[in-house]
Amino acid sequence: MGMLTFDAIVVGAGPAGVAAALTMARGGLKVIIIERGRFAGAKNLFGGVFYTHALADVLPDYWERKPPFERPVTEQGYWMLSPDSVIRVMHKSERYRKEPADAYTVLRARFDPWFAEQAVEAGALLITRTTVTRLLKDERGRVIGVDTDRPEGSVYAPVVIIAEGVNNLLTRQAGLIASDLPPTHVALAVKEYVNLPAKELQARFGLSGPREGVAIDVFGDVTLGLPGTGFIYTNQSGISIGVGMLLSEFITHRLRPYEVLERFKNHPVVRPYLEGGEVREYGAHLIPETGYDRMPKLAGDGVMVAGDAAGMVDALHREGTNLAITAGKAAGETALAAHQQGDFSAAFLSRYRRTLEDSFVLKDMKQYRRMTDFLESSPHFMGTYVNLLNEAALRYFTAHGIPKREMEHDIIKMVRERRSFTGVAWDMLKLMRAMRG
Amino acid sequence: MHAVVAIKQVPDTSNVRIDPETGTLIREGVPAIVNPYDLHAVEAAVQLKERVGGGQVTVITMGPPKAAEALIECIEQGADRAILISDRKFGGADTLATSYVLARAIETINAELPVDIILFGKQAIDGDTAQVGPGVATRLNIPLITYAIAIEEFDLEARTAIVHRRVEQGIEVLQTSLPVLLTVEKEIAPVRHAPLPRLIAAARYQPEVWSATAPVVFDPQQIGLKGSPTVVGKAFTPEQRSGGEVISVADLGLNAVVARALAVIEQAHVRNLQPETGVVS
Repeated sequence: MGMLTFDAIVVGAGPAGVAAALTMARGGLKVIIIERGRFAGAKNLFGGVFYTHALADVLPDYWERKPPFERPVTEQGYWMLSPDSVIRVMHKSERYRKEPADAYTVLRARFDPWFAEQAVEAGALLITRTTVTRLLKDERGRVIGVDTDRPEGSVYAPVVIIAEGVNNLLTRQAGLIASDLPPTHVALAVKEYVNLPAKELQARFGLSGPREGVAIDVFGDVTLGLPGTGFIYTNQSGISIGVGMLLSEFITHRLRPYEVLERFKNHPVVRPYLEGGEVREYGAHLIPETGYDRMPKLAGDGVMVAGDAAGMVDALHREGTNLAITAGKAAGETALAAHQQGDFSAAFLSRYRRTLEDSFVLKDMKQYRRMTDFLESSPHFMGTYVNLLNEAALRYFTAHGIPKREMEHDIIKMVRERRSFTGVAWDMLKLMRAMRG
Repeated sequence: MHAVVAIKQVPDTSNVRIDPETGTLIREGVPAIVNPYDLHAVEAAVQLKERVGGGQVTVITMGPPKAAEALIECIEQGADRAILISDRKFGGADTLATSYVLARAIETINAELPVDIILFGKQAIDGDTAQVGPGVATRLNIPLITYAIAIEEFDLEARTAIVHRRVEQGIEVLQTSLPVLLTVEKEIAPVRHAPLPRLIAAARYQPEVWSATAPVVFDPQQIGLKGSPTVVGKAFTPEQRSGGEVISVADLGLNAVVARALAVIEQAHVRNLQPETGVVS
């Protein structure tokens, strides 16, 4: 059998890889996507909120192609959880109700195969159950293809787009990243899908029908006051509930991820929402908290990296799939241009990075470059402050026959005891700096 | 050499659950796979083709349009041609109706290119009946060898084969004329990791689709629900049997143990045993 040769190889059929393949296939390139799971998305997991703007860029008629969305997000916000209380800051607006909406809850086992199908329809070849084991390079170190775990498994192309996900072995092998991510820069998220009849779910979350949905991010006691977040998202007829924390926190505090999730599910505020629901799925996944400064080089000779493999995640705003799709599209367009010029050098492909520097992908990553370090070095936000707010609220909302002035003094005293005013001022300053980038 | 392999797409039973109210399988959300024994049947056919130096492996299945995925997986594993027999009219078929359809289909395939061997997995993991293979052999009036574990000899000139078959007491070695129908155990051939070029070819392959009326006109009385006299009265998970009485040779001595065991069996009216069959010396 002759050599298997394509115009481009994409490693991984997640959002980044599929967006790249779709862009290139529509541009007339002969593209192969190699995915190690049984189907696109088989290995993928995320919390559940998908932002549509990036999808609209890469697939303008996506709405007509009936994407398998669960519910539009029409209400969203934060819960600040103390061991026995919660402060809720929720935002609901009539303006969220237009469809296609800005954000939808999504189950990846449904969404990813649909998205991959769009690339296949555009002419890309999708090969599943096949793992890319290494990059093939020529004598000058340029990437010229990949090797897989299949017999006769070498494939050649002048450009390879790596969208292999958080376990970025090929990215490392390509020499685009120096070392493994330390546990302080990888989060571990665990998640359950709890089945509930749509009617019951809507009643519990105050939704008027299937075209409404809630996305809640939870802070505080959900992570035992440690840096990290929990989430509760409504699907068509089920709830996605999970917790994510830095790997280093699990290690330092000897926490088992499923125990943290179980604790969250049994919190008195959370439990009633799940009552009677049946756990249908349990999953765990790593999230790169790489940060702007640790990102790999995005291009080398004959190769580009996109998505989780390149650390394209904005944890603060729970964004990732939209960064991945935007980056995949940019990588695909760069590959198209490279084919036109016949130039696959690192110098030429570096225009991929420049495109991203001009987009929200790298602008946001740059702005929040200190966020992970900040949260780690400022333990009071998730613990002390959340509890303080709940305590203050309790005092504020209860009448004990105590003069209000005394109640105010009480609250101020409490703040002083748990975190001095200079401490608070210092934390706020750090927060502002972290937000400004 | 022309081999026909009949396969079935089944829910991955490691994931399947039974609806406690209706007693039916909950198929929603359960991944579909090629019945594991059938993959070994495909592999056996492909290896046989390689052994005799060429030929064709045709894979057939009766099922919904989605079953095309299962056929494509067989193409990956080395099959040359795949036929999906799919029509709403086939819906609700039991093993009788299914074996009618497959037998008629194989007759048609045989008319195009004579068939030397037909392979089935020993049973499907969703129904576990092991009836369709034997049913097809009976209808085609050809030799049947169930639980085949090896094809020792396959002689296209003499039109004979020697096949090893697993039985409770050991292994039977049988000589048969061709064509023959085998239902196979996994030992018949380990499933190989398909080469990448095959995967690429299979990804572009479209199985032929046969309906209830073309290219074969199936007898409407013998297909689907109409052709299926089987009635499922009740489906349930058998109760777990627990412990039972333990009779120890160390405590009672051998003869006393045998006598006690026989008494228990007779009391349960399981079998009427003659005393001498139970005496162990």
